[in-house]
Amino acid sequence: MAMEERSTRIYRQQQMLSKEALTEIENLCIHEQPAYCVAACPFKLDAKQMVRAVAGGDFAKALALYEKITPFVHILSAGCEAPCEQKCKLCEAGEGIAIHELERAVARFGKSPKNKGLLRFKKRKSVAIFGSSLFSLFLAGELAKKAYPLTIYCDEPDAAAFVAAGASFLDSDGLNAEVETLQSMDITFRFGTKLTAQLFEQKKTAYDIVGASPRLLSGFWPGFEVDEATMLCKEVQVISTPVGAQGVLASLFGAKKAALTVDRLAQNLDPRSSRGDEGASETALITNMDSVAGSCRIHCEKEGYTKEDAITEAKRCIQCSCTECVKGCVYLQHYKKYPKVLTREIYNNVSIIMGDHMMNKPINSCALCGQCAVVCPNGYDMADICLMARRNMVTTDKMPLAPHEFALLDQMFSNEEAFLCKPQPGFAKSKYVFFPGCQAAAIAPDTVRAVYLDLSSRLEGGVALLLGCCGAISEWAGRYQMYDEAVAFIDARLKELGNPAVIAGCPTCKKMLSQHYDGEIVGIWDVLEEIGLPKGAQKISRPVAMHDSCGARGDAHTQQTIRKLAGKLGCELVETEFSGDTSPCCGYGGLVMYANREVAHEMAQMCVNRTDAPYITYCMACRDRFAREGRESRHILELIYGTNAGEPPDISEKRYNRLMLKNGLLHEIWGEEILEMTCEFPITFMPEALKLMDDRMILKEDVIKVMESFRETEEAIFDSESGLMITRKRIGNVTFWVKYEEQDGGYLIHSAYSHRMKIDSSQ
Amino acid sequence: MADKNYYTIDPLGKLRCMKCNVPLVKGKARFMYLDNGFPVELPVCPSCGFVYVPEELALGKVLAVEKALEDK
Ligand code: SF4
Ligand code: SF4
Ligand code: SF4
Ligand SMILES: [Zn+2]
Repeated sequence: MAMEERSTRIYRQQQMLSKEALTEIENLCIHEQPAYCVAACPFKLDAKQMVRAVAGGDFAKALALYEKITPFVHILSAGCEAPCEQKCKLCEAGEGIAIHELERAVARFGKSPKNKGLLRFKKRKSVAIFGSSLFSLFLAGELAKKAYPLTIYCDEPDAAAFVAAGASFLDSDGLNAEVETLQSMDITFRFGTKLTAQLFEQKKTAYDIVGASPRLLSGFWPGFEVDEATMLCKEVQVISTPVGAQGVLASLFGAKKAALTVDRLAQNLDPRSSRGDEGASETALITNMDSVAGSCRIHCEKEGYTKEDAITEAKRCIQCSCTECVKGCVYLQHYKKYPKVLTREIYNNVSIIMGDHMMNKPINSCALCGQCAVVCPNGYDMADICLMARRNMVTTDKMPLAPHEFALLDQMFSNEEAFLCKPQPGFAKSKYVFFPGCQAAAIAPDTVRAVYLDLSSRLEGGVALLLGCCGAISEWAGRYQMYDEAVAFIDARLKELGNPAVIAGCPTCKKMLSQHYDGEIVGIWDVLEEIGLPKGAQKISRPVAMHDSCGARGDAHTQQTIRKLAGKLGCELVETEFSGDTSPCCGYGGLVMYANREVAHEMAQMCVNRTDAPYITYCMACRDRFAREGRESRHILELIYGTNAGEPPDISEKRYNRLMLKNGLLHEIWGEEILEMTCEFPITFMPEALKLMDDRMILKEDVIKVMESFRETEEAIFDSESGLMITRKRIGNVTFWVKYEEQDGGYLIHSAYSHRMKIDSSQ
Repeated sequence: MADKNYYTIDPLGKLRCMKCNVPLVKGKARFMYLDNGFPVELPVCPSCGFVYVPEELALGKVLAVEKALEDK
């Protein structure tokens, strides 16, 4: 068994996806879509953020957001019809947020820092506005913000009268505040001007662009219309608004359109062209309301909310967004990224030729479990992206071997040394073949034996046994050539058996095999459901939780059959969050536990933390990982066959178990004499050494090889400080070091470690 | 730069080669990984050339460099 390390000198490039395909995938994610309230606002007020600021008691921040819409926040908040409120998602579950009243509170309680706005260079083109109106006020606000030199001509004697003429509905506090706002702007006023048509004609030539209140426009030029898209009266080249459109919302909307027209005219461009998208829009956002309890608005007196009431009301806001995929996926939580962002970063990572590939680890940390594709309203499938990236990196020789080599060697071990494929004694032909999967043999060999003995005695027509790996490991690693070889190998063995019906012991094997095997494939659970449970089946007497395997995602039949079996056993099942098709991965899937132990651990934690109850699983890897987290977990076959795999085995035991299962069955069932593998010298491991070795992915077998090599070469050193001897051997791509002392003609192993770098001493 | 040693570890007289029965000395060696090489100074047997890589080094700096190279 050997695998070749890649060369970093060869730079191959292959596109993972076309740009178009990438965009199409990214567009599936609606996470960045505006909230319902935001989309409904014609001014695109970020109501979601504003409400959030209020909820946090930060009225200054809320005001800053609100003032982005218009400096005249008292006018807007007093008169806005608040279309956002009807669109508030909370209306579906009770009452929507009182956004309008919150805006009023923000206008009253928010303090905006004085002297804001840097000294800005005035624009070259000058503008004049003639006549008072709500539209004139808002337009003045917009143009002042854009730094146009602005002159206002009006009948009114002063600013207060000018504001009052436009916004007569303001109370005195509001009026004073808006007068102050107006006066803080750099505007030239010509108060008390008698506005006649002659005056207008005479003055307007002094400015590049002129606007007029709707009353003036219709008075001077009755019958001329304002174009609703540009707010321009073409005949006289005057900006205004139709006489009818005089509510607060319509006036502000008109003023914003007019201000854009001013920009276009100032640049000598056609005011109708490239105006971007104006006004309210539809959002594609989907917010899951399943767990949202409806609530009612906080009562509001006529004079408006108190600060406290505003905060309480704002706290009802659920900050609409889509986070469906993140809720159940530890991987996305760990990297704090949404699929869209992650996809782009992965895509870029794969495209870099030289330099650091920062996303290699994230690419190898997805469990490829497919949960996201099920919970996402648009079916975003990160597994697809990560697997594509892994395969691409394998093709271009950018995939490091280190994260997956141990697992890949394990697959080879399963399909070489530990491989077994035999028809039932006395049967020339096999009607069935039992395929328990590599993990079952590694973790619960006694259970595999018991199942095989049962099946071969109760089923008719010959039940063959195939101990091996379905190839999932190489598939997950993106090593598609190795996967194809594994598939060809398994298919050839099945063909030799006469293409019997496969009885899979593991949902992932079942899924993998069904991608290429022509014959029938059923789960062991289907067979047991049909032929009944064997004698000796035992339940767990406490309530238990069922953990669905990610291999059975989308396979309702398997999920239900397992539950029926649990029912027959008499198990009482407790409900957990994320079960069935939305089940999270235990951390084995996608080889996460090899590439990123931390994330794999968090995944197992998330699984076990759903309940305090013991778990029943139907995948041996899940059983193993939960037990490692200290949670009682049993594979349903252990219960059915009255076996107990006990404490989780370490990596060496997992190999040993497979070999022993094979040899034991060869002897017991097929009567073959097996040469005992014996070590020629005594070797003992300190318990700490075994623990270290398990963490460091070092097998007992590796240590034995190192010591065998030492016996040949006698190359070792003595460390007088620790009193230990130290030797080493390069096996494949890894150099293994062993610290030991001699004992009883053999060795007592204290520690082992390894590195992948080669040492060259020839200098 | 060419001669910079990435790691320098002195045996400090605590290590002996068992085969040659001589103390290890500080000697030159080279680490090679994924087509990259690094000059280092490690405890070496002056007689047979055995190069010792201590556990702390293997699990510390060596591992870190391996990881960095793997993601190149
Ligand atoms: S579930 Fe995730 S991937 Fe799907 S739309 Fe929502 S945020 Fe985007
Ligand atoms: S709940 Fe909040 S974020 Fe959602 S629509 Fe209503 S105000 Fe906007
Ligand atoms: S770990 Fe599973 S749920 Fe999370 S992104 Fe990967 S495939 Fe999707
Ligand atoms: Zn020596």
